[in-house]
Amino acid sequence: MHNVNNRSRDIGEFVPAEDDELLICRCEEITKGEIRRAIHDGMFTLTEIRRYLRTGMGLCQGQTCGKLVKEIAARELGLVLSELGNASSRVPMRPIEMKVFGNEKEPGENA
Amino acid sequence: MKRYDLIVVGAGPAGLSAAVEAAKYGLKVVVFDENANPGGQLFKQVHKFFGSKEHKAKIRGFRIGSQLLEEANNLGVEVVLNATVAGLFQDKEITVRIKDSIQHYKGDAILVATGAAENMVPFKGWTLPGVIGAGAAQTMMNLHGVVPGQKILMLGSGNVGLVVSYQLLQAGCEVVALVDAAPKIGGYGVHAAKLARTGVPFYLSHTIIKAEGTDCVTGVTIAEVDKTWKTIPGTAKSLAVDTICLAVGLSPMAQLLKMAGCIMEDNPKKGGQVPVCNAYGETSLRGVFVAGDVSGVEEASSAMIEGRIAGIAAAEYLGYIDKAVLTEVAEALESALSSLRQGMFAVENRGKNIEKTDEGYVVSQHLLKKGYFQDAEVEKYPGVTRQPGVHAVIECSQNIPCNPCQDACPRHCIKIGDKITSLPVVDETANCSGCGMCVAACSGQAIFLVNEGYEAGYASITIPYEFLPLPGEGDRGWALDRGGSKVCAAEVVKVQTAPVFDHTSLLTIKVPVAMAMKARFFKEDNCHA
Amino acid sequence: MHKCTEVIIIGGGIIGAATAYYLALQGIKVVVLEKSDNIGDGGSSRNGGGVRQSGRDPRELPLAMYGVQNIWPTLSDELGMDVEYVKEGNLRLGKTEQHLNILRNLTKRCVDLGLDVRMIEAQEAREICPYLSDEVIGASWCPTDGHANPLLATLAFYRKARALGTEFITGENVLEIKKIKGRARQVITANGIYEGETIILAAGYDSRKILGTVGLDVPMTKISLEVLVTEAQPKMFGQMLGTAMADFYGHQSKHGSFVFGGSSGFEDTNKNNGTPITASITAPCICRGIMKYFPLLKDVKIVRTWAGWADISADKIPVISPVEEVPGLIVACGFTGHGFGIAPTVGLLVAQLASGVKPVLDLAEFRYDRFKAKI
Repeated sequence: MHNVNNRSRDIGEFVPAEDDELLICRCEEITKGEIRRAIHDGMFTLTEIRRYLRTGMGLCQGQTCGKLVKEIAARELGLVLSELGNASSRVPMRPIEMKVFGNEKEPGENA
Repeated sequence: MKRYDLIVVGAGPAGLSAAVEAAKYGLKVVVFDENANPGGQLFKQVHKFFGSKEHKAKIRGFRIGSQLLEEANNLGVEVVLNATVAGLFQDKEITVRIKDSIQHYKGDAILVATGAAENMVPFKGWTLPGVIGAGAAQTMMNLHGVVPGQKILMLGSGNVGLVVSYQLLQAGCEVVALVDAAPKIGGYGVHAAKLARTGVPFYLSHTIIKAEGTDCVTGVTIAEVDKTWKTIPGTAKSLAVDTICLAVGLSPMAQLLKMAGCIMEDNPKKGGQVPVCNAYGETSLRGVFVAGDVSGVEEASSAMIEGRIAGIAAAEYLGYIDKAVLTEVAEALESALSSLRQGMFAVENRGKNIEKTDEGYVVSQHLLKKGYFQDAEVEKYPGVTRQPGVHAVIECSQNIPCNPCQDACPRHCIKIGDKITSLPVVDETANCSGCGMCVAACSGQAIFLVNEGYEAGYASITIPYEFLPLPGEGDRGWALDRGGSKVCAAEVVKVQTAPVFDHTSLLTIKVPVAMAMKARFFKEDNCHA
Repeated sequence: MHKCTEVIIIGGGIIGAATAYYLALQGIKVVVLEKSDNIGDGGSSRNGGGVRQSGRDPRELPLAMYGVQNIWPTLSDELGMDVEYVKEGNLRLGKTEQHLNILRNLTKRCVDLGLDVRMIEAQEAREICPYLSDEVIGASWCPTDGHANPLLATLAFYRKARALGTEFITGENVLEIKKIKGRARQVITANGIYEGETIILAAGYDSRKILGTVGLDVPMTKISLEVLVTEAQPKMFGQMLGTAMADFYGHQSKHGSFVFGGSSGFEDTNKNNGTPITASITAPCICRGIMKYFPLLKDVKIVRTWAGWADISADKIPVISPVEEVPGLIVACGFTGHGFGIAPTVGLLVAQLASGVKPVLDLAEFRYDRFKAKI
């Protein structure tokens, strides 16, 4: 069984750390301590951490914090990075105003 | 729906190269880029590139961008700027944000060349204004003409950290410290040496403890780390800076490929998550190709070759050329690519402790820790000779893929040979004319002309110089050694600029002969002026 | 072979996690097997978060009303984390007389079953939600409807069940249920065999092929539905929103972002490439739909869109049923795109079925064997 799959695996108690206040996801203002705590609450994948805390769900869509969250999770779970997989990417690549997203034009039409 | 043979996402070195190559074979190509300027990172690269002629070596990055764009335009490639590709969907369809609308396009083939984004590293205070990516600093300076700050700390001694530090100096900033947690400088020694001789201090095995300041960065605390990356108590020191630049690597921007359902892999050697692809850059989705940093972070030179290969592969995929043509052309390009991937800095050597060059020369540990050679070390390299009269002194000690110096010398004084990563050898039997072509051609600014018989008791040293204001003949000041310390008074005896030097001026200074093999930089003494 | 447990739940979505929680409360040993690496990766995290009674099929309405009256209001406290349940009503909007007729019909059948829902004029609708466009001419209004955060609600059930000792195993693709001596007992996965005294199948559309391994079928299809999320905005309104034409539905989350689902009209026939990939035409269509009702949102940025599969049963209500012909098997699937709001109730009911307690609500309408030929 893969290491993230057994959700009853003992990863030890949550131990507070000196740098828990460090902001990791800047868009959604999520700290390192919150991320570590989420893992101890059973959120073993980047997708679950993201759904639980909103890391990487803000305007930059995880461009900045994705790698940082992954490193924190890997350390907390005792895994190497590649065992963790990645959170998904979604359309649109960059945030788009609703009035623009809804304004479909044929190429060549005056935008 | 509007359809092209090939849609290229990203007008950087990989994307434009692919577009050019595909268009040569008759494909109808469009390139979309979200930026206002084409060229991707090339347009920020004001330094001369490494490599060989075929890799556009010794040409400044932004000129390579212009050349590629011109080629693309001449071949009828449509380059659409300010056009953000929002999504990659089934059936090789993309949506593009252009002005205030969304437009749909289909490509019979699609090449994603979206590049990479800068990594960040968190430390106390890292969200303060004034903590920026090194690439961001480069954008501010080189695209927008704005300096990011006055007193800079650069974190990261890879080539990006070194090159951007140099550009910050050129823009008039002070680089207060170059810091890296690793025990050795990660980038090319020649890039480090360019900084060290201006006096930039290197702090290897150091890390940032915190950025100081309440509303913006007003200082930084750094400390030494041990082999396990733990800070050593009592080593903390505070530096007054207003900007902290982070040059801690890049991650591929593979979002479009992920959202389209490409099979991805996690590959630390490629900088993170990249699409699985074959030798031609085709992903798990038929007809969807990748090239450049998005498929694995490397240099612009390799991105251009990867782009060309993918462009040709797209031509073959769409039946514009036979498989045999693809195989033949790709083979030649792959061999060029593999020549770029040789040497000490090759991916497979990352993290390895290389003590000797291919030729058996000992690699200077002092260079790797401090950014410059000790005086005694330098003389053993094959580019450094003591000769009567003017001659080139090439302080190049690492096997890196670069050979413009060999081609630059009209008298063939400099030999590298067929292996592009070999150290340059100065041929003592050839007769140096002192033309300085090699000095300007060396992208690493590691070549000097030394004449120990300049006049009685004095030697002349010709150094590459890329700062403004340019000193004038007769100016007096200080000669700095490789570590940036003042060693003696110096006088500028000659200043050469020429179109062929491409903005690298040759400054010839006169120093006491004993300093001929020590002095490597000139600093004007404003009190004398 | 893994040791025999009391209950195996196939499917780690909100139905499976809620059922696990209610079983674990009784001290029952449960193992949950989830195909994906992530808990709640199907419809549970890909829905608009509606906790709605109005507009429900009359057969399903009691489940929704039970949840709103007995479970949702205290769920955050019970599970020890905020599931962002907001009970500020549901507005279903109409722009034409034809729309209003649709709303009247939907309203009437719910009123008949005792739900507080009524038709209101445009002016009253605007008093409830001042941001509506002038095109809105009326609405149905159910003040006790609401919404919650589906990501958090799913993970909250998981977290609590896990804390109570439920074993969750992700990345475990169930291939087969195997009867042993006349009872459903073994669950065979790509990695091994699990044994349980009771097996609960709550695997969304994938339930169909697993049911096939014990000779059963629930007629259902799967369709791809899409949702978009905006950047956070200051709080504007707390209602759950829908329209007569189902152009879009959604709400503003506690975080401030708007979560809007919708359709392009091709949901039933969208091409499946194996991943729930969005279609290029859907999000623009949803945006246009939203702006007709809420022109004020035109400058708000969309940061994300996603697609998910909904398991659509032949008669548009779920199967929640013991399977007497395969003793030991209980099925909960076919939620037809409106499973989230009733998930806590369903979890409670399925747990009751599994532990041999008489369910608090009658489940006769949700029998697995109700599907008959039309003549």
